Amino acid sequence: MIGASAVPLVWYQVLAAVLFTIGVVGVLVRRSAIIIFMSIELMLNAVNLSFVAFSRQHGTMDGHIFVFFVMAVAAAEVAVGLAILVAIFRNRATANVDDVRLLKG
Amino acid sequence: MSLEPILFAMFGGTAIGCAVGVVFHRNPVHCALLLVGVLLSLSGLFVLLHAPFVAALQIIVYAGAIMVLFLFVVMLLNVKGESPLLTPGAAKGFGILFALIVFIELLGTVLPRSGDSSRLPDAVLPEGFGSPAAIGRILYTVWLFPFEITSILLLVAVVGAVVLAKRKFA
Amino acid sequence: MDTATLIEAAIKVHIVLGFILLGVPLIVWMERKVIGHMQDRIGPERVGPFGLLQTIADGIKLFMKEDIIPSQADKVVFVLAPALTVITALVATAVIPWGDTVQLFGRTIGLHITDVNIALLFVLGTTSMGVYGIVLGGWASNSKYPLLGGLRSSAQMISYELAQGIALVGVIMMTGTLSLAEIGRAQAHMWFIVPQFLGFLIYLTAGIAETNRAPFDLPEAETELVAGFHTEFSSMKFAFYFLGEYANMMVVSGVAITVFLGAWNGPLLPGPVWFLIKLTAFLFFYVWLRATFPRLRYDQLMAFGWKVLLPLSLLNLVGTAVVLAIRGG
Repeated sequence: MIGASAVPLVWYQVLAAVLFTIGVVGVLVRRSAIIIFMSIELMLNAVNLSFVAFSRQHGTMDGHIFVFFVMAVAAAEVAVGLAILVAIFRNRATANVDDVRLLKG
Repeated sequence: MSLEPILFAMFGGTAIGCAVGVVFHRNPVHCALLLVGVLLSLSGLFVLLHAPFVAALQIIVYAGAIMVLFLFVVMLLNVKGESPLLTPGAAKGFGILFALIVFIELLGTVLPRSGDSSRLPDAVLPEGFGSPAAIGRILYTVWLFPFEITSILLLVAVVGAVVLAKRKFA
Repeated sequence: MDTATLIEAAIKVHIVLGFILLGVPLIVWMERKVIGHMQDRIGPERVGPFGLLQTIADGIKLFMKEDIIPSQADKVVFVLAPALTVITALVATAVIPWGDTVQLFGRTIGLHITDVNIALLFVLGTTSMGVYGIVLGGWASNSKYPLLGGLRSSAQMISYELAQGIALVGVIMMTGTLSLAEIGRAQAHMWFIVPQFLGFLIYLTAGIAETNRAPFDLPEAETELVAGFHTEFSSMKFAFYFLGEYANMMVVSGVAITVFLGAWNGPLLPGPVWFLIKLTAFLFFYVWLRATFPRLRYDQLMAFGWKVLLPLSLLNLVGTAVVLAIRGG
C-alpha cells in the first residue's frame, strides 16, 4: 500500500501550469512552424502531467488511460502535421507561418 | 528524509529550464533536443507519481519516436533559425500578456482556496497501481471502445501522411 | 530505503559496469581473432599473450590522439552525441538479470541491479533513446557523409524497433509479465526459444539491425559513406562510439538470452556462469555473421524491415494469441 505523496500534489499541478504557459508563449511569439509544433507538444505534455497527478490523487488509473490517448493523438497529429510542413517547405521553401498566409498557390 | 522532494525539484527544474529553452532557442535542432529533455524529466515525474507504465510509454513513444520524427524533418529540410526570432511588434507583447492571463487563470483553478475544506486527501494506492497489468485491465474493459477508435485515428493519420508526402499522384 | 539496500545496489552497479567495460576489449579481441581465422589470417598476436592486450593498446592510442572538433560543427551536440550512445547502452543493463537470487549475509539478493515491472519496456525505451547518439553525431558534424549516415540510421533503427518490440510480445503473453527476472524464472523447465522460435529469429534479426552490425551496418557503410555518422569523430569521442556499439551488442544479447534462451537456467553450473557462456556464444554468433554476410543495399534493408519482418512479427503475435486462447479454454 502506498500512502500520501511526500510532495504535495498541488506542486505537480503548478508545475504543469507553468509548462503549459511556456507552451502558450511559444505558440504565440515564435514564427517557425516547427517550433510552434514543439510548443504544442509541450502543452500536451503539461496536460499529461496534470492527468497523472490527478490520477495519483484520486487513486484511479483513468488519468493514465487519458495520457495514453493523448499520446496516440499526438503521434497522429505529428505525422500529419510534419507531412504538411514538408509539403509547404517543398512548395515555398519556408517554415515561417507568416509567409503562408495567402490562400492562392 | 525522503528522496521524493529532491527528485521532484530536480526533474521539475530541468523540465522548466528545458521548456524555456525550447521556446527561446534559435536553432531548431537544439529546440528539439531540449524538448526531449522536458519529456525525459516528465517521465521521471511520472515514476514519482507511481505511473511506471506511462513513464515507459512517454520515453518509447514521445522521446523515442515522435521526437526522432521531428529531428528527421528539421534535418531533412535544413531549417535555419528564423530572423527575427520572435514575432515583431505589438503581437509579441500581446502574446506574452495573454499567456500570463492563462497562467493566472490556471493557478486560480489549481491552488486550493483558503477555507476550502472540500479538498480530498491523497488516495491510498493499492499495490500494482499503474502497472502494465492494471492499466491493461481497465484499458480493455472500460475504455475498449475509445481504444479501438484510436486505431482508426492512427490509420487515418498514416494514410494522410503518405498522401501529403507523395509528390505525384500517379 | 535502508543503508544495506543502497550498498547492495552500489556493489551490483559496479559489478555490471566493470563487467561491461572489461568485457568490451575482450569482445573486440575475440572479434578480430575470430574474423582473422575465418579469413585465413591469424589476427592480432603481438601485444600480450595471444594478442589479448591489443585492444588495450588501441585504447591507449586513441587516448593519445588529438581530439579534433570540426570548425563548422555544432560543438555542444558534437560532444554530447557520443556520450549519449554510451549512457543509453549502459543504463539498459540495469534491468538485465544474470542469475537468480542468492542468500548472502542473511539477505536475499537478486542477481540484477533492479527488477521493475516494466523492465522490458525500459530496455526498449533506452534502445530507442540510443538513436539520438547516432543521429545527432551525424548532424552535428555538419558534413555530408555523416549526415547521410545519421539519417539512414534513424530510419533503420525506428523501422526495426517495431519488429523487435512486437517479437518480444509473444513471450510477454506467455508469461504475463514484463519483468525480466520473472521471465527468466519462467524458463526453468523450457526455454522460450522452443515455443517462440519465429519470435526469436525476428528479435535476432532486428537486434542486429538495431546495433548497426553487419550485414545491417548501413549507417557506417565505408564503401559509400566513408565511415558514416562517425566520420568526423576522433580520439576519445570515436572510442565512445566504439564502446557504445559493443555495449549495445551486449544489451541486445543479454535480452535475447533472458527472453528466449533460458536466461541463467542450465544444468550443473551456477546461473551467472551459464549466463556468461550464453553471452559469449551469442557474441561469437554476431562476429560469425559479420564474417559471413555481405552488406545489404539500403532499399533492400528498409523493404526487408517493413515488408518481411514486421508482418512476420505480427503473424507471430496473432498465432501466439490464438494458441494461448485455445489452451486457456
